[in-house]
Amino acid sequence: MLLRETVIQAITSLTVNKLRSWLTIMGVAVGVFSIIAVMTALDAIDKSVESGLTSLGANTFQIQKDPAMVFGSGHSRNFYANRKEITYKQALLFRKYMEGRVRNIGFIIVRPANLAKYANRTTNPDVAMTGGDENFAASNGFAIAAGRNLSENDIRTARNSAVIGSELAETLFPSGENPLNKFIKVNGEVYTVAGVFVKKGAAFGQSQDNFVLIPITRFLQHINENSSLSITVEALSRKEYQQTIDRAIGAMRLARGLTIKDVNDFEIRTNESLIDSFRDIKIAISTGAFIISFMALLTAGVGIMNIMLVSVTERTREIGIRKSIGAPRTTILRQFLFEALFLSIAGGLIGVLVGVSAGNILALKFNLPPIFPILWITVSMVVCSAIGMAFGLFPAWKAANLNPVEALRPK
Amino acid sequence: MQSLCKFYEMGDQVVKALDSIDLDFGLNDYAAIMGPSGSGKSTLMNIIGCLDTPTSGIYELNGQQVAEMDDDELARIRNREIGFVFQTFNLLPRLNCLRNVELPLIYAGVSPEEREARAREALQRVGLGDRITHKPAELSGGQIQRVAIARALINKPSIILADEPTGNLDTATSHEIMKIFGELSEAGNTIILITHEEDIARYTRRIIRLRDGKIESDKPQ
Repeated sequence: MLLRETVIQAITSLTVNKLRSWLTIMGVAVGVFSIIAVMTALDAIDKSVESGLTSLGANTFQIQKDPAMVFGSGHSRNFYANRKEITYKQALLFRKYMEGRVRNIGFIIVRPANLAKYANRTTNPDVAMTGGDENFAASNGFAIAAGRNLSENDIRTARNSAVIGSELAETLFPSGENPLNKFIKVNGEVYTVAGVFVKKGAAFGQSQDNFVLIPITRFLQHINENSSLSITVEALSRKEYQQTIDRAIGAMRLARGLTIKDVNDFEIRTNESLIDSFRDIKIAISTGAFIISFMALLTAGVGIMNIMLVSVTERTREIGIRKSIGAPRTTILRQFLFEALFLSIAGGLIGVLVGVSAGNILALKFNLPPIFPILWITVSMVVCSAIGMAFGLFPAWKAANLNPVEALRPK
Repeated sequence: MQSLCKFYEMGDQVVKALDSIDLDFGLNDYAAIMGPSGSGKSTLMNIIGCLDTPTSGIYELNGQQVAEMDDDELARIRNREIGFVFQTFNLLPRLNCLRNVELPLIYAGVSPEEREARAREALQRVGLGDRITHKPAELSGGQIQRVAIARALINKPSIILADEPTGNLDTATSHEIMKIFGELSEAGNTIILITHEEDIARYTRRIIRLRDGKIESDKPQ
């Protein structure tokens, strides 16, 4: 029998029980939706990550107490938490040891989620407070838009000067008001605005311009003297990058007073290591999403099988009639298999459509470019078809092997 | 067919539904198979119609050994050689008359254009040329049975096999249907009727009576 006839028959049969067919299709759609939505969002984030990370500066690396991301048990968390803070004193020693071997060394401490005020205007409590020195701007790729950078004098005297990011400036000083030399309040402390940074844009879907930079010395004195510093090092050139990292490890061990048998109690973060950490997270999320979605698809497959078995029982007489007028087994098998396949593929298509849309809406929310995860769409559709086939086969086989005499017997 | 037997095992008892049946049907035969219920006539019909195979014996249809065939070969034989007319009509309720009648041609692999032309012709022949787009539920019992006859005819089968074709019809309609069978016989078709009504059997030219799985009598009339 012609393929076209089989397809027409399958679709006609499915339209008889519209609600039932739709419910089954929805089961498949939900499974596919979850894979596609997660993968679309992840791919979109992935695309922006490299540009976001490399905006730090190509020859730059950081030294911190903790790794960027910690996986695993509480044990490994405690392991990092128990490390001693990187103090300002150690950082100064480190800088002295590295003198002349690097282009730039900057220190920062970041405290997230602060509230800033000017006159009657208040920001959301999402302003990052950064303690840094005069090198912060250079090593983090910030340029001055107005006013001046922090000076050596600011650092030495722990003055209440501040340089603010462009987004914070726009919030506190809208409609072109000049922010320079105005007094702003951050968490109750008063600072004089010395300068404004040039806008840098978002990375990881997060603004990099909503922050206030104050002298690191003031941060330690007035905000938290036990904060652990993050040291940003810029190598002289790409060629000397790896060599600089090796030298920095040595200098840091010396500054921290480690003996020869101690292991490093600090982490080096490079653009690459950040990207790697992100990849790890991505793999963890995608594996999880895939397993969960696969379970959902299996459940949907069982649903398909259930519906098809009911359908075979209900249509025993129809099968009997078709067989009595000469339908061979393969034709009956194909007809029922097509119905199962149609259910799973229709569900897959709906899942892909809604999933790609949802993933892109999410991406849009993070200001990321739209994406069409062709690989995952292919994988989902293949898995869907396979599930339709696998779970449709038994009911179809059952239908095909019905005895026509039994099937035609009136009940 | 020669010494045809069909046994069923029920528990440890063997039921002889058909016991050494010898029968011959010639071209253009018009026969009725009669007998009380349990006499084996349904079993015989299933075997003649290639819906079932005998336990032993020989069934030759147009030179083909049917007893030895597998399911798919039987399906092909049913498609080409047998036209069924059932007591309960057995049309597909969702398809209109035309689609029901052309169904055997779909399985025979005939092109859509030819299918439709032949189905129209067959429906015209049973006097339903103006009802082709109606669904079975929109027709009377007699009309439905005529659609079923058109379906049985469409593939020009060797045997038209009718199982109590008038069992669900009133007397007047029954005689209308039998008139159609009469016309088909005149036109050269081979028809085998299964019935337990004497006045229906009288339309045929040969009556075979079964009792307890054996042939009781087989005479022309």
